[in-house]
Parts: sequence; structure tokens; C-alpha cells
Amino acid sequence: MNETNQEKREHPGASSGGLLSNVRVLDLGQGVSGPFCARLLADQGAEVIKTEPLEGDLARRMGPFAGDEAHSEKSIPFLYLNTNKRSITLDLSTARGRILLHALVRWADVLVENFEPKLRTSLGLDDESLAAANPRLVTTSISNFGSTGPYSDWKATDLITSAISGLMYHSGNADREPLRSALSQSLYVAGINAAAATLVAIYRRLSTGKGGRVDVSVAECMTAHLVQASASYAYTGGLRGRRPAHGAPLEELMPCQDGHVVVSAQGSQPFNTVADLIGLEELKGPMFASAEGRIVNGEALEHLILDGLAHWKKNELFHAANKQRLVFGQAQEPAELYSCPHLNEREFFASVNHPVAGAAKYPRDLIRLSEGSFATRHPAPILGAHTTEVFREILALSDAEIEQLRSLAVI
Amino acid sequence: MVNLPLKGLRVIDLSRVFAMPYAAAFLADLGAEVIKVEGCAFLSADTRLGGPFGGPWADDAPGELHYERNGVFHVLNRGKRSLTLDLNQAAGLETLKKLIATADIVIENFTPRVMRKFGLDYPNLRALRPDVIMVSNTGYGHSGPFSNYGAMAASLEPTHGSGAFIGYEGGPPNKISNSYTDFLASWTALYSVMAALLYRTRTGKGLWIDLAMYQVGTAFMGEGLLDYAFNGRANRWMGNRHDVHAPHNTYPCKGHDRWVTIAVTDDSEWRALCAVIGNPELAEDVRFIDGPSRLKHQDALDALICQWTTPLDQYEVAHRLQAVGVAAGPVLDARDLFTDPHLMARKFFDHIEHSPETEVGCRPQLGRPWSFSDFEVPTPSAGPRLGEANNYVLRELLGLGEAEITTMTEQGVIGTTPTDAPVPIPVPVAEQLRLGRLVELDPLYRQRLKLDSQPLK
Repeated sequence: MNETNQEKREHPGASSGGLLSNVRVLDLGQGVSGPFCARLLADQGAEVIKTEPLEGDLARRMGPFAGDEAHSEKSIPFLYLNTNKRSITLDLSTARGRILLHALVRWADVLVENFEPKLRTSLGLDDESLAAANPRLVTTSISNFGSTGPYSDWKATDLITSAISGLMYHSGNADREPLRSALSQSLYVAGINAAAATLVAIYRRLSTGKGGRVDVSVAECMTAHLVQASASYAYTGGLRGRRPAHGAPLEELMPCQDGHVVVSAQGSQPFNTVADLIGLEELKGPMFASAEGRIVNGEALEHLILDGLAHWKKNELFHAANKQRLVFGQAQEPAELYSCPHLNEREFFASVNHPVAGAAKYPRDLIRLSEGSFATRHPAPILGAHTTEVFREILALSDAEIEQLRSLAVI
Repeated sequence: MVNLPLKGLRVIDLSRVFAMPYAAAFLADLGAEVIKVEGCAFLSADTRLGGPFGGPWADDAPGELHYERNGVFHVLNRGKRSLTLDLNQAAGLETLKKLIATADIVIENFTPRVMRKFGLDYPNLRALRPDVIMVSNTGYGHSGPFSNYGAMAASLEPTHGSGAFIGYEGGPPNKISNSYTDFLASWTALYSVMAALLYRTRTGKGLWIDLAMYQVGTAFMGEGLLDYAFNGRANRWMGNRHDVHAPHNTYPCKGHDRWVTIAVTDDSEWRALCAVIGNPELAEDVRFIDGPSRLKHQDALDALICQWTTPLDQYEVAHRLQAVGVAAGPVLDARDLFTDPHLMARKFFDHIEHSPETEVGCRPQLGRPWSFSDFEVPTPSAGPRLGEANNYVLRELLGLGEAEITTMTEQGVIGTTPTDAPVPIPVPVAEQLRLGRLVELDPLYRQRLKLDSQPLK
């Protein structure tokens, strides 16, 4: 069966004219960090072939699921992390599987993987095998703690990397246990760091002609967020912690009539603008006039702000404050983000229709470009949907050879 | 001497505060020449002068050269050159335009109206340098009804939805804090600048990147948004617990505010944990026999694990569990990070020597969370002294003469000392401790960090 040209242009591997339209990526990523890295490359037009084990990327078994039905095509993390990719299956535990992988490596500019470092050799992902197949290949390896060092083989989930990174110690309330972030943030942050570092290596390759390995540590990506806490200790011995239980009402979430807002005194406006807006004369007292005063008199300030906020609805306060150049925030839930006039005017959401999971509006892209957004939105691929076309197109295998691989359970 | 990947590229960094200065610092690490443009009369918008708490200044002493002694500024601006220009004077603005004509990348984070006012928005920049790559970072982006709103990470984080997912069990919404969204913007800038550089190499064309932190932050909440779109679920406050796995939590350890995290994701890990606790019968307890049972009885389960961890050292718990293949890790604070054996073995921190006049000495600083097999990033130079590159830029890069430079100095277009700022009134660290803004003052930090310079009296 031959594809028409029309269909060829429309598959997710077709050149999109994006910033990275000449970059070819083999995505061996599993779960979150590797797939997010490859998706960010795909968002800018790279051609990404997702290479999954026969049972599929482990994200396919991660919930929540669309319709709360555990199904390999309905995992919400998988659906979000794998748009604009093609999927093939390949069993890397077999010698033939690894031979096919190395054939694909000759086609690729980039290989992204986030296996445990100690598994690399058995999967054919060691430096020697990859360099022998393609010395220009950039291999991006993401692991919990990096490829070297005493914790390099430690097991972790997002909770563990967040803890060891140091970020978690500084989140939550001082009178409670440290609080983790949510939605696998350490793995997402690692994914975007890996995408950036991958592009650095490709850029370097333009002048050296050589690829090499990029080593990304999930935990260190989060540690890199601790600019204030690390500088505080290195410069003064002062250890920063979590939000104090009392007396820290500014730049923190505070309850109002129908939710939570962030009242901020930062920015160019005098504090009296905040006082006038919230509507309490007492806030104009000299004790709150300076930044130092608002810290030292934090408890009194907190009581007044709580009183004032009781009369405000969050969305009204958010707009009233921002129109006066006060940098207030409000705690928004997903429904509010989906209906946000600002995000919608900027066409932030794209409608994506997945053949099994169904249609939904997805966050489309991290940035807007003067050249227009290149992120065409193909839904995440069905497991192995492109195996035949990829082996036919890229490795020039015959249908009979492909059938044989299938019967041997290599693909 | 290795050729760093971005060697030969010039970056003009007009940005302030956290997100974009940090992104530009990584470009400097990678070999770009990054010229930070500062205004002697406009420093209060940046980190040189410290935030509302003041500092952190080296050894909590601002001193006369306080604007050269700020630790946060140093991390965010390492490896850069500093040029001062008063952009409100015609000569300052003209000089910047000449400099931009030689630049590959311009990074800024003013509100949209400021760059338009200066005639430095993208159409104008492109006229100066047709293939320039420009990053404009704002809270909400250059289009849309909120585009004129200012922003800071502390307000943006809940606005882009994190509060719906982060919180102790049952709510209310909480925050990751630590300027989380700023750093998402830093990584996004790095990623998009690198993509734009590859595009420019291939096509000869520059590009404008409209980097809205609200948009970036919302994209990082994507799984949560889709859970709402598909399932109508609005929020998930579950503390440190997991919706499938148990035990999955934070447990107290020996010492004040010391914690360990443990995550068991299958039955064999559970049995291994029971053996380490010294209670193998627990593995047979029907309440905990499989994942769904453990999830159902996680209050009882967490109480049992707490009992075991409470008298133990947080590192010891992690090592014992990792030895049998159970995911566990101590919750580290900043002091722990600087002395952590893993980060030390990986040489994660840069040890940066500051110029003698600043009396900062050598300090450890956050490094990069990635490395490359075929080259090493050398230790960056220290965050620059105010205006240290004025002569280099004006004379060597732009070819201005002595007379012109003297005139610019006399008119205050350039300078090397702040003119808008009174010496900051810091809240001393001891007072910050009393107020709960710091949780501990470690009198031994200089010994632990092996700082050998003399602290400023």
C-alpha cells in the first residue's frame, strides 16, 4: 500500500518548516523527562521517531487516564508528552533489535534516552557502540542524579529528586513538613534543560563535526533553582526555609472572598497604592511604609490584609491591582486557565483529536515567535503505528523483512 | 584551551532581576561574550542592591562597595562584562544602538512599552542588525489583554495554576515558591535561543522570541489541565502522597526539621523495605499486601514508617533503602547541598574568585545541571564590577575616542558607581532569623565552605 504525497506531508515526521526542521531525533525516552525533551525539539520542527519497547513507553501505564480508564492510548502524561512524534516498537534486549537501533542511529542527529545509567551498555547505548554507528550523533542522557557520582545508580521518583535537589526543603509551610511540587515538575525541568543542552551540542557540532554525550541530572536541574537559598548560605551562613507560619502576608497566597490571591508590594508603586486598593487606612501607617517595616511588622500587616481581602473577589482584585501596576496574582484552577481571555487571544490552546483518547485542548507551545509558531499538532502516536513506514522509508526494508521481524517479536 | 560552543557570539543583556540574567549567565558559561547593560541611576530594579531583605552581602556586611558584594547578583551574572549606560540620555541610547548593531543576541525583560519608547522593539532592532535574535521576556507576553500587566514569579506561580495541584492534603493551594516561574523562563530562554541560533545558521535569518512567563508556567501544568479537560478534575491536593503508590511520603528523622522521602512503587520494593525496617512480618500484613491495599491504609502505613525513621539520620535511611533498591532520599537544605558527597564528586559548584577590592574572596556558586563529553566548561569569571567593561566596549568595540568617553563620563552617561541608591538598610541576618525569614544561622559556614578570605568587619 503506497502513501500518497498528501498523506506524507501530513504525518508528524514531515518537514514542518520549523526552527529545527532539519534535526532528526530518536526518542528512546520513557516516562516524562526524555519524552518531554524530545517533544520540545518536535515543537520547533524536529523530526522525532519515538522508539518504544514492545509493551510501550512506561508513561502509557501512568495515570491519570482520559476517562479514568487505564488504557495504553489514554494516559494523560503520555498524550501530553508525545505530540508530533511517530512511534515504532523495537526490542532492545535482542541482538537484532540493537542492530536495527544502530541502523536508525546512522539516520539520526540526536538520540534522547533516560534509562538508568547502568543499563546503557546492555541496550546498545554505550559510547563505543553509538560512536561506531554514527560519530556525529548527539546522545542526550537524562538520569536522576547524572551518570557519575555516588548516587548515580540510586532509584528515584519525582519526590526523591525534588528532596535531594534541595528545592523541596524550601517549599510549603515552616510549621509543616517540606512539600513537594506536583505534576512531575523535576522531570519536566530536566526535560527542558536536556532540550537546551542538546541544541548546544548540535550547535557545537556545526564547527567540530563531532557529536558526543550530554549528561543531564534531574536533581541538579532543580538545585539550579536555588539561587537565593544557596547564595544566602554561601555569603552569610543564613539558611532559608519555608514560608513562616505567621507574619509573611506579602508575595504569598492569602485567602480572599472566593479563593486565594497574592498581594505584592514589589514593583514601582509605593505601598500606599496597595493600601488604597485594599481599602484600609491603617495600612498607610508609617510602620508599613518601608520594605523593612513590612517585614518587621509582618504579623500586624497580615491581620490587616486578611481583613481587607475578605471584601475582595480574586479575579476582580487581580485586574484592579494590575491596572494600577501592582503585581498581584491569583490562584487559578484549570477551568479558569482554559477560559482565560488572555491565553485564548494568544491562541495558547490547540485542539488535538486523538483517535482513541478523544479530543481536548492542549497547551500548544512555550513561546511565540516572530516567524509564527511551527508547532503543528499531531496527537501522540498509537503504539507502533509508524513501525512499517519508518523501516520502509529510513532503513529501506522490504515488507517481507518487516514481517519477519514482527514474527520474531523484535518489532 | 577548548573552544566553547558559543565562542564568537555577542549577547547584549538588558535584563534585570532573575529569569533573563540567569539565562544569559548560562550563555556566558558556554562561551558567548555577554555584555550586561546597567544604568548607574537605575540599579534598584536589579539585584546588585539586594531585595527587600537586603543582600545577601558577603558575611552580612554591605560595606562601601555593597553593590559589588551581593551573592544573588553574583550567581545570576557570572561570566559577564558590565557596561553602564544611561538610556534616558541620547548619547546612552545611541551607544546602545551601535552596540546592538554588532550583537548576535539581545535579551530584555522590560514591560512592552519600555522597549517601544526607546525605539528598541524588534522591528527597530532588526533595522540595526537584520539577523539579530531577540528575546523579550514579560509576565504575560506582548499581545493579549494582560500584556501591560507587570509580573513577578511569586504572583505568577499560582496565576498559572500551580496552586490547584500543590498543597497539603485537603488544601488550601500552596506554592513551590523560590521564584519557580522565573527559572522556567530561564530554561525556556536558553532552549529557544539555541533553536533560534540553529535556525539562523541554516537560513541567515534572525528571530524575535516573545517569552511570556504565564504561558510557560501554564504549559508546565499541562498534565493537570488535561486531567480537567478529559475528566473534569479541578485540583489534586495530596501533600507528598501519590495517587497510586504507597508508601510515598516525607518522614521525620533525627534532628530539627530533618526529613527523608521514600517512594515504594511495587510489591518487591515493599518487601525490601519491610526487611530493612527489621519487620519482615509486615510484608505479610494483609493491610499492606499490594498497592491498592497500601494506598487504602496509608495513614497506618505512614505511622509505622515514621516510627522507624524518627530516631535515624536522614542520610542513613536513604542509604539503607537505596542499598536494597528502594527509592529514598534526604530532604536537603542549602548547607547540605554544599557538603553533599555526590555534588562534590560531580564538581557541581563553581568556586569563583572575586576581585580583591570587593573583599568577597572565593565563594562556591551553583554550576550547570548538564555537562558534555567532549568539552568542559571552565570556571566562569566573577559577576562583573559595575561598568568594568566601559572602556573595552566604547573604545575597542565601538572605536570611540578619549574625548567622547570623557564627555560621556562627565555627563553621567557612563560611570562606575551607583547614583540612584542610598546605602541599603539591611535587615541583619540575626533579625531575619527572629522573624522566621531564616531558619538558622550557621556560625561555622566559613569553615564548612573552606572560605579562606578575611570577612569584612
